[in-house]
Amino acid sequence: MENNIISYELDDVREDSLRPTHKWGRSTKIWLSILCTIAAWGLFAFIFQLRNGLGVTAMRNYVSWGLYISTFVFFIGISHSGTLVSAILRITKQEWRRPITRSAELLTFVSLLFGGIMPIIDLGRPDRILNLIIFGRVQSPLLWDVISIMTYFTGSTVFLYLPMIPDMALCRDRLTITKTRFDKFRKWLYTFMAIGWTGTKNQWHMLEKVMNIMTIVIIPVAVSVHTVVSYIFAMTLRPGWDSTVFGPYFVAGALYSGSAGVILGMAFFRKAYHLEKYMTPRHFDLMGRIVLALTLIYAYLNLNEYWIPAYKMATHEGVLLKDLFFGSYSGVFWTLQFGTVLLPIIIMAIPKGRQILPLSITCIVIVIGAWVKRYIIVVPTLLHPYMPIQEVPADWSSYFPNWVEWSVTMGCLSGIFIVITLFSKLFPMMAVWEVEEGVEIEHDKQMAIDIRKKREVEKLAKSGVSVN
Amino acid sequence: MKRRKIYFRKLYFTIISVVFCISFSTAQNSAAPKEKMSSSIQLAFNKKADNSKHITVKVSAKNSDNKRKPAENAHINFYAVNKDGEKNIGTCLTDNEGKSELLLPKDIPLDTAMTFHIVAKIENDELYENSDEVILFKDVTISIKLNAADSNRMVNATVVIIGSDGKEKPVKDVAVKFYIQRMFGIMPVAEDNSMNTDEAGLASFNYPKEIPGGSTGNLSVIAKIEDNEFFGTVESAADVKWGSVIEAEKNPFPRALWEPYAPPSLVIVICVLFGGVWSIYMFIFYTLYKIKKEKSNTQIEFDTFIKK
Repeated sequence: MENNIISYELDDVREDSLRPTHKWGRSTKIWLSILCTIAAWGLFAFIFQLRNGLGVTAMRNYVSWGLYISTFVFFIGISHSGTLVSAILRITKQEWRRPITRSAELLTFVSLLFGGIMPIIDLGRPDRILNLIIFGRVQSPLLWDVISIMTYFTGSTVFLYLPMIPDMALCRDRLTITKTRFDKFRKWLYTFMAIGWTGTKNQWHMLEKVMNIMTIVIIPVAVSVHTVVSYIFAMTLRPGWDSTVFGPYFVAGALYSGSAGVILGMAFFRKAYHLEKYMTPRHFDLMGRIVLALTLIYAYLNLNEYWIPAYKMATHEGVLLKDLFFGSYSGVFWTLQFGTVLLPIIIMAIPKGRQILPLSITCIVIVIGAWVKRYIIVVPTLLHPYMPIQEVPADWSSYFPNWVEWSVTMGCLSGIFIVITLFSKLFPMMAVWEVEEGVEIEHDKQMAIDIRKKREVEKLAKSGVSVN
Repeated sequence: MKRRKIYFRKLYFTIISVVFCISFSTAQNSAAPKEKMSSSIQLAFNKKADNSKHITVKVSAKNSDNKRKPAENAHINFYAVNKDGEKNIGTCLTDNEGKSELLLPKDIPLDTAMTFHIVAKIENDELYENSDEVILFKDVTISIKLNAADSNRMVNATVVIIGSDGKEKPVKDVAVKFYIQRMFGIMPVAEDNSMNTDEAGLASFNYPKEIPGGSTGNLSVIAKIEDNEFFGTVESAADVKWGSVIEAEKNPFPRALWEPYAPPSLVIVICVLFGGVWSIYMFIFYTLYKIKKEKSNTQIEFDTFIKK
C-alpha cells in the first residue's frame, strides 16, 4: 500500500488538508517566537547598517557584492522549485504531483519575495531604489534583472493563487463560527480571496483555462529570470564570470537546488502536518530521481564551467582558478564539488538513497552547498580584479561576512520560514480540489479496469471457459 | 495548560529582553564617558584666486596607546589677536581625517606689525584636552599680466603687499610657481616652473605652446606662492586663449553603457518579450474579474466541489 501514489480516500482529503488551519499548537507558537526573535535581531542589524552606512559590513571597494548578493542568487535559484514541480509536472500530466504542488509554489513565492529584498539591502541608499526605474538604462542587465524578477514574482504569485481559489471558497464555507477576531479576519480573507467562487461550470472552465496558460507562461519566465541573473555576472568583464555557459549553468544550478528545496519542504510538511498518506515514500523516490537527473546536468555544466578555462589557464583566469583549486578557497571548492555534487549523485542513484530520511539529508547538503557555491561564484572573482589591489588597507584584499551581514541574512531566512509557517496555518498546504480530482481519476481508472475485467470474464464464460 | 502558556510567554519575553539588552549594550558602551585625548593643531594660510582667505587646520590626537591618529569631531575656535585683545572670528569642526577649513571674514583686525595674528584653540571639548596654536601671516597679492609678443607668450606675475602707509610695495625674492588648471587639479607648466620675484616684485615665465585647451582653446593660468613662511599659500589666476583647440570625438564609444539611448533593436526585443508576458497577465486578471462577476450573473448550476 505504501508504494501506491494514491493511498487515501476522498473523505479524508478535506479533513487532513484543513486540519493544520484549525488550531495553533504550542510548538507552532514556540517556532514562530524563535523565528520572530531572529527576524527582530536581523531588523536591528539592518537599521544599524542603514544608520551607519555599508561601512559597518565587511564589504569594501573590491568586494562590493558579498553575502547579500550570494544569498540573492541562492534565493532566486530556490524559487525555481515551484516552476519545476508544479508547471512541468502539470504539463506532463504527472498525477503524483497533486499533493506537493502547493508547497513547491509557496517556496517559489517566498524565496522570490525575500530574494528580491536582498539587493535592496545591499544598496547603500535603499531609499533611492525608485531611481533604478525612473532613470534606469535599458542597456543595463541590472534593469533587465529588476524587470524580470518583478515579472516572475507577479507570475509566481498568480500561479500560487489560481489553484487556491476553490480552496478559499471551501475554507470560507466551512468557517461558519466566527467568535474570535482572528476567525473574523480569516472569514474576511477567505471570502476576499475566493472572489465569489461558487463552483459553476463556467467558473471551472475559466479557471482551468487561465491555469493552463499560466503553466505554459511561467516556465520561460522562470528560465529567463535566472538567465538574466547570470547576465549580471557574465556581462561584466571579470575573470571567472566572463563565460558563455553562465545562463544554462545558473538555470541548472537553480533547478537542482530548488527541487532539493521542494523535497525538504515535503519532508517538513509531511511530518509537521501528518500528511504521510499523501506524501508517500514513492513521491520522495520520484522527486529523488528528478533531483538526480538535475544534479547530473548541473555536474556536466559545472565541468564545462571550470574545465575549459582550466585547460587554457589564461593569465587572470588562471590566477583565480589556482586560488580556487589550490589556494585559500580550495577546501571549500573541492568540498562543494565532491560533497554536494558527486556524493549526492552516488547516494540518489541507489534506491535506498531515495528513501525519505537519506534523501532529506542529501537535500539539506545540496541546499547548503548551493548557497556556498553562490558565495564561491561571487567573492573570489571580486578579489581577483584585472587591476591589481594595491595601496589600500590590508583588510580590503580579503572578505568574510561580519555580524551585520550574518544577522540581516539570517533575519531574511527566518522571514521566509515565518511566511511559510503563517501561510500553512491559514491555508491548506495541499490543493484540496486537485488532490480530490486525483482520487476521482484514480477511482475512474479502477472502475474502467474492473468493467473491462468483468466483460472479459463474461466473454470467456460465454465461450464456455470456466473462470474462477 | 494555563501555567504552560504563561511559562512559554515568560520564556519568549526573556529571550526578547536578552536580545535587546545585548543590542543596546553596544549603544551604552559607546555612550560611556571616555578619557580625553591630548591633541595638537597644525595651521596653514591659503589665499585663493578669488581673494578669499582661508585657514586650513589639521588636528591629531594621542589615544591611550600613545598612538597618533586624526582627531575627529574636534571643535576649534579661532581668534584674531591685536592690541585690543582677542576677537572670536569663527569656529569649525574637524572631519574623520582631523581636517577642517575656516573662511576668514574680510574685516580681521591687523596687529601692529601689519600682520594677521590668528590663534586656534580647542577649548572645553568633550573628546580632547585644551590646546592652541598660533599662525602669523602677511597679506600679499599676486597680479597677473599676460603678454603675447611675436612668438613669445609671457606671464608676468607681480607680488605686492600693502604697507603701513596704505600703499602697495613690491615683494622681492619670493618663489612664484606657474601652473595651468586642468579638470582634476593644477598642472605645472614646465618641470622647473618656479621663478623668484625681482626688486619690482615681478616674476616672468615664458609659457610653452601647444598646451591643449579643450574645445575653446581657453586656458586658466595660475601663479602661486606655496607654503611661504610669511605669506602662506597665495594664488592668482587669469584666463587666456593660448591653448590649442581640441575637437572632441563625436561618438567615441557608440555601444557604451552610458550612451543616452539603448539600441532600438534591444528596446524592441525587451518590449516584445516582457510586453508579451504582461499582456498575458492582464488577460488572466481580466478572467479573474470575469470569474468574480460570474457569481452575481448566473445561478449556481454545477457545484460538485462546494456542496459535497
